Order: sequence, then structure tokens, then C-alpha cells
Amino acid sequence: MSTPNLISAAYTWGQFTPSFVLVGLALLILLTDAFLPRLNKQLFPLVGSLVTATLACFTAGSSASALFTTLACAATAVCLLMAYDYRSVVSASVAGGNHEDGVAEFSALPLLACAGVCSLIRSRDLIMLFVSLETVTLASYAMAGYFRRNQGSVEAGVKYLILGAVSTGLMIMGAAWFFGTTGTFMGDTRFLLAALSNPYLSAGVLISVGLLLAGVFFKAGAIPMHTWIPDVYQGAPTPVSAFLAVVSKLAGFAALLIILLPLIYLQSTVSDMLSSLISVLAVVAAGTLLVGNLGAIPQQNTKRLLGYSSIGQAGFILVFFISLKPTIVGPVFNYLLAYGIATLMAFAALATLRMQRGSEELSAFRGLGKTNPRTSFLITVSFASLAGVPLTAGFLAKLSSFQALVSTINLPHHIIYWLLPIMIICAAAGFYYYFKVLRFMYWEKPEQNDTPVHFSPVCIAILTIGTLLLLVLGVTPLIF
Amino acid sequence: MTPLSHYLIFSALLFSIGLGGAIMRRNVLVVLMCLELMLTGANVALVAFSRAQGLEGIPVYDAQVLALFVMAIAAAEVAVGLSLIVAMFRARRGVESTSLTSLKD
Repeated sequence: MSTPNLISAAYTWGQFTPSFVLVGLALLILLTDAFLPRLNKQLFPLVGSLVTATLACFTAGSSASALFTTLACAATAVCLLMAYDYRSVVSASVAGGNHEDGVAEFSALPLLACAGVCSLIRSRDLIMLFVSLETVTLASYAMAGYFRRNQGSVEAGVKYLILGAVSTGLMIMGAAWFFGTTGTFMGDTRFLLAALSNPYLSAGVLISVGLLLAGVFFKAGAIPMHTWIPDVYQGAPTPVSAFLAVVSKLAGFAALLIILLPLIYLQSTVSDMLSSLISVLAVVAAGTLLVGNLGAIPQQNTKRLLGYSSIGQAGFILVFFISLKPTIVGPVFNYLLAYGIATLMAFAALATLRMQRGSEELSAFRGLGKTNPRTSFLITVSFASLAGVPLTAGFLAKLSSFQALVSTINLPHHIIYWLLPIMIICAAAGFYYYFKVLRFMYWEKPEQNDTPVHFSPVCIAILTIGTLLLLVLGVTPLIF
Repeated sequence: MTPLSHYLIFSALLFSIGLGGAIMRRNVLVVLMCLELMLTGANVALVAFSRAQGLEGIPVYDAQVLALFVMAIAAAEVAVGLSLIVAMFRARRGVESTSLTSLKD
């Protein structure tokens, strides 16, 4: 066996330009905050979102890594805009007064996390993957527990830290065993094949892939590592929940693709090992669908509902992986795009309602159809797309998930016969709980002293652009 | 020379003590220590494998590089974790994980 390729040969500095720009900007914001205390602090989130939006335009391209980077940067830009909108709550919860301590760090942390996502998308070995994933995770711990005077936020931070660190430990053990059995950290198919065809080593490879998957499932929000999601989304500041729901989930699925794609390319040669992997993925997908969609039904807190919904949507994405074809990258991205836009819109509307009506319960949406008819239409499109109503992007995404499952009908494992009914039940449950929000908006009457909610221009812009994108992508899908 | 399996058994022991402690202990500080133990267990495996994969006494340094990164990340995790625990102590006057009950179904 020849020596493994050098890891340093797999990368060029230019690939990581987005990460360098983002880290540089984050440091610049922190230094400016320290040395120019008189500067208006509201500039920081605006500058951050401007730079990430520009990066999203510059990195756009047709390759998979360019698409994922663009989505991550654009979603971070939206989250920073939401943080700008949320500034009054940030100042009150961090500094406990009117002055603006803590705004700079609140806009630097998402930039650092986004830098981690950008380098994760381009990583080709487990060292880079692990370090990038931890950059995202460590920034997310700090963001989730950012409101240190708020019991819920601190509790969310501690829970996230403990569960996240356990999954980090599992993942690093998986990386160690992967190295021990294959002799390399790269997803190099030759070394993988050599290890898999050796009867002494193949069990070790299976264990290592299992441990790696456990770590990645934590980020992607699949069972059995999903327990943090509802609690952390509920407790974390709303812009941070949006960030975790979109960017962090995207990182999880990008990492899942990076780990599984070398195995997918080997499919024909090591089919018996892959059949056990497919069964595991199918069981995880089914469990994730059931836990997410059935758990969302009784929820009254909107952030918790969106948390369970994000678990449920992750289940639909995991179904793509059962077919184990190299072509799944496109549909997975499409699904993440449709889910990400709609989720960002839902969180943006929720952040405004939280500030003006002081509640995150579903009842905060009461009577919006009467008081704010235009904005309620935009919110309706977002929840309709999450549920999968035709003519929205969410419908095509869910449809492609069903198609991916149906395309496995000729394979010997017969997963489709028990997974398809579960998917249908879960899609139907989705209609029930997403439409609960719409019921509150259109069927509940506003209370006596309810005035129209004032949506800020930033929030209106996010909702309008999101609606346009969802409707356009709903009739003319991106084709891969 | 000590065979590879001894190192691996030691690493698995450290890892399982850490995992068991992280699941069972109630004090968040002790949980944080157990998490460090898990990472240490993984590091032992990494360094042992790095030796075992090498030829003629020269280890494959990739795994040792990862072990260094794990130490750096563990340190950062402790920094974030301890600051969260301080915030938690100020908010609740205690660091028992059983008191984390304000977020639930």
C-alpha cells in the first residue's frame, strides 16, 4: 500500500478566502468596539450583514461547495439583520440598561461561526472537518447562552454545551478509529476499500463511521442526538435560534455529505457493509420524522414548534441519503434552501412579535390577519412552504424527498414499504401544526386593546424577499 | 514494547468513564471534567494509532496533529463552559443540572 496523500496537498489558500474575510471582520469588529467606544454600535451588525451578503454574491457558483457557501453566508447576513432589529432586547438582556454593551460580540460570533461553516464545506479530511465543525459549535454555545441575565438563555447554553461536547467526544473517537483502521484521515476510496475488504478491520471502520455519524447527527438534529433542539431553540435569543436552525443545520448536512460520499462511491464493491449502513440511515430517518413531526403537534410555544419542525424537516432530508447515490447533493441543497428561507422568515416575524406583544406563544399571532393583512400574507407563505403547499418551494423539496425514496423501489432492502407510510403521516402532521399558526392569524379575533403590530422595514424586507424567492422557486426549481 | 491493544483498552476505559460520568453526574462542573476525560481517551487512541500506523519507528504525524487540535479545542470548550457555568450560578445560585427545568415540554 502506498503512503496516503499529504493532507496539505488537498488544499489551496484561495479556497478559504471567505473564512479569512469573515474571521478578519469579526476581529476588526471586536477591536473597534474596544478602541473606539464612542462609535455607534448599531453599525456592527449592519456592516457584518453587508459583508456576508457581498461574500454570498462573490462565492456564488454552480459547484456544490459554492452553493452551500452562498447559502450559509446569505443566511448569516439575514440573521445579523435580525440581530440589528433585535438590538433593544440585546442591550436590555446583556447590560441590563440602555447602553449598548455586548452588541459588538453579538455580531462577531455569527461571523466566526459562518467562517467555520465556509471552511467545513471545503474540507476533505477529518482534521479540517472536525476543527471547522468545532468552530461553529463553540461560537454557537456562546451565542445560545448570550443573554446572561435571562434564565432560559443560560439554561439553553449549558444544555447545548453538555450535549454538544458529548457528541464532540464521540466524533473525535470516531476519527481516531477511522485513522486506526484506514491509516488516513482523508475520505480516500483506495484506503477505505483496503480496510473494508480486510475482515479484521471492517468492523473497526463500521464503528468509526457510526461514531462520526453520531457527532454529525447532533448538528443535523437527527435522532438520537436531537434532544437539545427544542430546549435550545426556545431558550436562545431569537436571531440565534434562526442561525442554529439554518446555518448550523446546513453545516451538519454538509459534514454528513463529506463523510458519506466516499462510501457512496464505493457502493458497488462493498455492498454488504453499505446495506447495514443504509438500514441504520433508514431507521434514523424514520425516527427523526416521527419524533419531529409528532412532537410538534402539542406545542404552544412558537420557537419550540419551529424546533420540532426543524427535526422533522431533517428527517425528510435524511431520506435522500437512503438512496446513496452521488446525485443526492443537488436535492439536499434544494431542500435546505427551501427550508432555510421559510424558517428565516418565520423567525424574523416571531422576533418582531416577541418585541411588540411580549410573547412567543402561538397566541401572539392572534388576529394578525385583521390588523396586518399584508404582512400576514407573507407569514402565510412562509408556513405554507414549510408545510409543503403546492406552488411554494417547500412542496417541490418534499416531492423530491418522496421521489428519492420511490426510486429505491427496485432495491432488495424494501425500506420503501414501511418508510413511505411514515413519510405520508408526517407530511400530513406537518399540515396540522404549521396551519395552527395560520388559524391563530385568520380565525382568532384580535383582543380589545390589540393595535396593529409595527413590523420594521428590515423585517418587511426579509419577509418580502423570502416570499418572492419561495414563490419563484416553487414554480421554476433550480435544476441540477 | 507495549502492544497497541493495551493503549486501546486504556483509551476505551477513559472514554467510557467520561461518557458514563457525563450522563450520570448531576454537578455541571463534574460533567465538564468528564467531558474532558472523553476527549483525553480519544487523544490516547489517536497517538497510539499514529505510532501503530507508522513504518520503521516513524509515526504518521497526521493523528498527532489532530490530537494537538483536540487539546486546543478542549481548552476553548472549557473557557466557554466555565463562563456559562458562572452565568448559571449567578442566575440560580447552584450548578446542579437537575435545576435546569425552565425549558421543557
